[in-house]
Amino acid sequence: MPSFDTRKIGEIHRQLHTHLPSDPALRVKALESLVVEKGLVTQESIDNWIELYSERIGPKRGAEVVARAWSDPDFHARLIADAGQAVKDFGYEGHATEHLKAVENTPDTHNLVVCTLCSCYPFSLLGMSPIWYRSSAYRARAVKEPRKVLAEFGVTLPEDVTVRVWDSTAELRYLVVPERPKGTEGWSPEQLAAIVTRDSMIGTMRDLPPEPA
Amino acid sequence: MDGPQDLGGKESFGAIEVDSPAYREDWERRQWALSKLVAPPGLTIDWFRHALETMPPGVYLSVPYFQKWNANDMALAIDAGFYTMDECLSGHASEKGKPPDTLSVDDCEDLQRRMNRSFATVIEEPPEFQVGDTIRTDPRPRPGHTRLPAYARGATGRVIAHHGAHLYPEAGAKGDHIAHHLYTVEFCASDLWSDCEASDDKICLDLWEPYLASA
Repeated sequence: MPSFDTRKIGEIHRQLHTHLPSDPALRVKALESLVVEKGLVTQESIDNWIELYSERIGPKRGAEVVARAWSDPDFHARLIADAGQAVKDFGYEGHATEHLKAVENTPDTHNLVVCTLCSCYPFSLLGMSPIWYRSSAYRARAVKEPRKVLAEFGVTLPEDVTVRVWDSTAELRYLVVPERPKGTEGWSPEQLAAIVTRDSMIGTMRDLPPEPA
Repeated sequence: MDGPQDLGGKESFGAIEVDSPAYREDWERRQWALSKLVAPPGLTIDWFRHALETMPPGVYLSVPYFQKWNANDMALAIDAGFYTMDECLSGHASEKGKPPDTLSVDDCEDLQRRMNRSFATVIEEPPEFQVGDTIRTDPRPRPGHTRLPAYARGATGRVIAHHGAHLYPEAGAKGDHIAHHLYTVEFCASDLWSDCEASDDKICLDLWEPYLASA
């Protein structure tokens, strides 16, 4: 069982840092061979988990959810009321989506999601997070200078647009619902989903182009 | 605790690598899979996160993300007596185990779907705050696995949502299952940063009742 002892685990971390090889590829290889030899997991299971996250789970799921919210007023209402429940329509519930909250961009509000304390992310809906989302720079700056951060992503916000930054400090996870672009009237949900990007659902993109990226 | 993880508002990290991918190296994917598929008995999400916070600060701030997870997986397992330090350093088990069944991609997908764990629970105590209330956060550093970031200490904000009671991370990191009422609190940028970009901008955090007092 875990010790739940802060000093003890910190000391183990220091020892590991001193004695492990510096190359992280070697460290991961050591852990993988250890757990496989112990009979805790097979290499094929590891391969299959990787395949799951490269082939099936990714931002296309979130894009489908957003496209349906744009197309179906009843689903939109349910997504805003309880997004964790609403994504179960698609079977997209999973890692970190039980307490999902959808936050909508409007002409005068822009939403931006960060996790300053770790790197919380709605994996089951957006797949693995980009490296920048997990970086110290993004975690440090998004809450203090969101407009400068957005500018680095090519988003210039007018002064009359309010930024709302959501710092994921508990088990709630946030999904930004971008504004539906003009010129997409009459599009099918599939056509709409094709223009919704991962970054628009994190909030580092604002205006979606009315044609597939 | 005032560890290296508490990054909100810290300076001098420079530009964001806006075009960075989800992974740069193959070992990053394999570590992600290892962390999701193997865990020592008794592990809680809060103890996992707290253990990361105890890494040497210079290391925490300088190594790739999944290198931290690799070290943390080893540290947690050594702490729990699940692996030994020697096993981690050598990459070999002192006693070999029988290989388990392989999880197919469909099995992995089922496992992933079952990770939609609820942290909500029912407690007897009524909530102390209501939507619309003005609150002030604890001004002091809190020991252990706090989820009140330093930048939001001693700050005045407004409750915009009550989520019922959720499991409390400071307890979870000690192996205890205790819940407190959880709220979303909205802060004006100008109440958190003297040099904020736009005073009407808002920062919203999910905070447990023990972090809050009436203002």
